[in-house]
Order: sequence, then structure tokens, then C-alpha cells
Amino acid sequence: MIGKCFGIICIISILFAIFSGNIEGINDGIIRGASKSVTTIISMLGMMAFWQGVMAVFEKSGIISLLAKVLKPILKFVFPRAFRESKGDNEITACVSANLLGIANASTPLALSAIERLNEGRESDKATNDMIMLAVLGSSSFCLIPTTIIAIRAGLGAVVIYELIIPVWIVSGTCMLVGIFLSRIIGKICGDT
Amino acid sequence: MEILKKISLFTLPCVVFLVAIIVLFGRKRNYFSFFLDGAKAGMKSAVSLLPTMCALIVSVSMLTSSGLCDYICSLLAPFFEKIGLPSEIFPLILIRPFSGSGALAVFEQILSKYGTDSLPGICASIIMASSDTFVYVICIYFSTTKIKKTRYALPVCLFVSVLCIFLSTIVSRVLLNIL
Repeated sequence: MIGKCFGIICIISILFAIFSGNIEGINDGIIRGASKSVTTIISMLGMMAFWQGVMAVFEKSGIISLLAKVLKPILKFVFPRAFRESKGDNEITACVSANLLGIANASTPLALSAIERLNEGRESDKATNDMIMLAVLGSSSFCLIPTTIIAIRAGLGAVVIYELIIPVWIVSGTCMLVGIFLSRIIGKICGDT
Repeated sequence: MEILKKISLFTLPCVVFLVAIIVLFGRKRNYFSFFLDGAKAGMKSAVSLLPTMCALIVSVSMLTSSGLCDYICSLLAPFFEKIGLPSEIFPLILIRPFSGSGALAVFEQILSKYGTDSLPGICASIIMASSDTFVYVICIYFSTTKIKKTRYALPVCLFVSVLCIFLSTIVSRVLLNIL
């Protein structure tokens, strides 16, 4: 996927530059882009390291499992079948907790094992409603603290930084709720597989 | 509005305060060493992003400096104006569902080209934080099982991400008015 993005963007840019006579611009773009990638990563480095450190402390001190305990009764309504059959419910809870705290590299493997559990003993190649709900939650989750954008904005000298936290809560929270409701309603109408 | 500003102001310090309390008073284990391990892992994942970001930022930088990006944006501007979106965020909307690092490269380019505190800059920041690479997520989630038919997963995710774009624009206009 990334390779294709890279290839397509490069080729169309160069062709456009040739036809519009802007070859100097593209030279400039290549040289500046390469050094800019390093400054971008450096501006993210500190925040990413600090934040993962914070998350490691939360994980080991049991705050994440506390969050999971709080979430479990709520998630019963979001994933009705998994909790009724108590199959994959623990994996789902762990995955959603990691998602809410924004630990993407922890939530993806948890989601994979949750979907594997949900798929145990099934022959059909159709996704169940609970699996779809997990995918919807995985791609539109509430964002507690937008660490990456904070780091990049700070690196570029932005004035508005922490003020973005509430707007991000509003937008990401609304999107998550709409995603959940929409999946439940469509799931009800279509039935389960 | 004052209260919202206060909450924004206190969120990050509160989290750090909680960590500091755990590190100081957590008797059972050495929590600071867990912090260090986590930070080391964070460093590693940031550095391992570098090769990908190098390729992608070069390509996105070529896209803007060749003038193609401006050309497409100027073509779309009347349409985007009609639906109330800043046309400068179009490249981000296009790449966001597919690739996280690609979106990061485009995001950086939007911020440095149009300014971090401009409408497109703020709008792109909120979109970056509130949406995700849903096409990629769906592909990965169902990759280990034999499931081929994802039914209504893609339409729902698409609808939510369109909603996210419009909400972000509205919220960033409001935010710029307040500040």
C-alpha cells in the first residue's frame, strides 16, 4: 500500500512538473523533503517516547485493567453476541481499552486475537456484526490526548496546541458514537451471520 | 468557554501528575523502570518510522513543489467552497483512509505550507487526530481469518470519516473565532 502511494505520487508529480515547466521546483522538493523527514521524526521522537513511557506505567500499575473493568458493562450493549456467548469478550474489552488510550500498536494485535476468537468454529466467510463493530471502533476511536499532532505542531512552532484537546474530544467522540449507533442499527436490520 | 479552556489546559498535566504519583508511591514495583522501558520502545517505533517517512515526505514534497497539488486544489476549490470545506485539506482526505504514515507526511506538508494556526492547519490537525486509516484497519483486522465479506463495515467507516471531515471544519471555525 505505502509503496504504491509513493510510486504513484512521485510519477504524477514529475510528469506534471515536466509539462508545466517546473523542474526546478521538483528538485527543490526532493532535497527539502528528504531533510524534512528527519526533522519531522525528531519532533515526534520525544513525545512518542514520553507517551509510551506513561502508558507503560499505566499498564503495569493496573489502570488499564481498571478501565477494562469499567468498560465491560457498557460494552455488553455494544457487542451483544460476544458477551452473551462469553466468547472473545475479554479480548474485545482489552482491545477497546487500548484503543481509547490511543495505544495503537497494542490494540491491533488484541483486535486480531479478538476476531480470531469470534471466528472460532465458524465456516462462513462473512463477518459477524460484532466483528464489524470492532473494526468500526478500531477505525473511529475516541482520542484522549492527540500526542502525535501535538508533537508535530509544537515542532513547527504552532501557537494553538493544547487548545485542540477539547475539539478533538468533540469530533472523535461524536464520530465514535455515530459509528456505534450506525453499526448497531444496520446490524439489527440486516440480521447476523 | 472558559471552563473548556481550563479542561484543555489541565488534561496533560493531570496525566503526568498521576504518573508521578504512581512512580513515587508505587511500593510493589519499580515503576520508573517501566517508564524507561516504555520510552525506549517509543523511541524505537519513532525511529523505525523514519525510512517510510523519508520516502513519503519526499514524494509529498514533490507533489506540492511541482505545483500539482495547488492545481488540483484550485480545480476543486469552487466545489469545496460550496460544501463549506477548505480545499487545502483535499490531499489529506484522499490519503487518510489508506496509510497512516502517508497521512502524516501530507499533514506535515499542509501545516508548513499554509501555517499551523490557519484554518486548513487546524482543520487538518483535528482530522488527523479524530479519524483513522479505516481501509487499512479493515484489511488488517480480517487478514488472519478466512473472512472475505466484510458486509457493511466499509460503508459505515466511510460515512463516519466523511462526518469527521465536516465536523472538524465546523469545530475549527468555531475554535478560530473564540481564540
